[in-house]
Amino acid sequence: MMIMKELLTGFLLPCVYAVMACLAFCLLLNQRGRLMVASSLGGGVGWAACLLCAFTGSDVVQYFAGAVAVAVYAEVMARVMKSPATGFLVVGVLPFVPGGGIYYTMEYCLSGDTQLFLSTGIHTFGVAGAVAVGILLVSSVTRLLRPVRMVQDR
Amino acid sequence: MICNPAAAHDPLPREVFCLTADYDALLNTAAAMGVQMLESGAEAYRVEDSLQRLCRAYGVETSEIFAIPSLLIVSLCDPEGHSHTRVRRLYHRGTDLWRVDRLNSLCRWVCAGRPPFPEVDQQLLTISRAQGYPPPFQAAGFAFTAAFFTLLFGGTARDAFCALVAGVSIFLVKHPMEGRRTNSFFVNTVCSMTAALAAIALVASGLGESLDLIIIGAFMGLVPGVALTNFMRDVLAGDLFAGITKLTESLLTATALALGAGIALSLARYLGGGV
Repeated sequence: MMIMKELLTGFLLPCVYAVMACLAFCLLLNQRGRLMVASSLGGGVGWAACLLCAFTGSDVVQYFAGAVAVAVYAEVMARVMKSPATGFLVVGVLPFVPGGGIYYTMEYCLSGDTQLFLSTGIHTFGVAGAVAVGILLVSSVTRLLRPVRMVQDR
Repeated sequence: MICNPAAAHDPLPREVFCLTADYDALLNTAAAMGVQMLESGAEAYRVEDSLQRLCRAYGVETSEIFAIPSLLIVSLCDPEGHSHTRVRRLYHRGTDLWRVDRLNSLCRWVCAGRPPFPEVDQQLLTISRAQGYPPPFQAAGFAFTAAFFTLLFGGTARDAFCALVAGVSIFLVKHPMEGRRTNSFFVNTVCSMTAALAAIALVASGLGESLDLIIIGAFMGLVPGVALTNFMRDVLAGDLFAGITKLTESLLTATALALGAGIALSLARYLGGGV
């Protein structure tokens, strides 16, 4: 019973929040209909992957895993739904954009704590870089897997 | 008739194209499609690839396309060696995933069926005229993005409610400013400042609990996620120009957000001391 409750509040609920946040974000990017639902689920998938990697104890690794999960989901859905992968990627990756990092960096800058300002700033860059590399990795591998015919066309 | 040795045994009739008029129409249609794609936030390689396919579908093998977020060049060479070029300069761009999706489907459809150009232009016009979500939906978008991110990052229900209010305040500032095409750095600074001020006021009134979570939640509707994602995809495809443009855009947006919230926080400290 305790484990169930733990699972609910620690794992399921955050994923649901991520999906809902992405759904709301779709309204801002004019993503519609079934694509709206499909792309928002990507945010939940990514957040689940991020939480599952909590044992590593490093949020750079967690964000990287989340970005990879979102990117894989996006590439799969792009094939299933016959729509550009970007749409799924842009929505699903939103929870991993380091908004918190930007905020805390600014706050330490204001309070004049140079040490913390620099380390938080660099950490924010690290997180953003990890997310970008995660996307890059999946997109590159997908390109490798494409049929060779297209390369010959050029 | 456009010469194309590869299409000698092509089942579709090619006599419909009369040479000069056709090149112009093809250029215009391709450029119009490319411009719409770039304006809706499609990656540079997608635009280049789509237009290349479009030109090839109409029998032009030697087309050169160059796209960066602010410029599109489409150049064709006819069998007599004359080159036809169209350059389009882009001044405004945003993100509209629905339009990217529709334009992508339109391009597939055109490449498969090769309809006459007026028909394609008509379709392009229909897509360009389609409106986004009405303002109340966008306000709800900002509000609920903020609220759910506050919850996701560990805020309480009361924090989420405050973020909801801060999100609506972002929309109320952003909407009129974007209607006047103000530059996005300034818009982001002001939006971030408004959200932070709203959050500070709500926390000071005792409704909100953790100021940082409310502001971060409100930030998430403004963070440069799209630029960050597309930057990586552009760089990956070898479009370094387009990539650098988007990297700069995302860094500028992040700076604008930090600046706006910073102004609000220092203002609050200066005036009230306590927060």
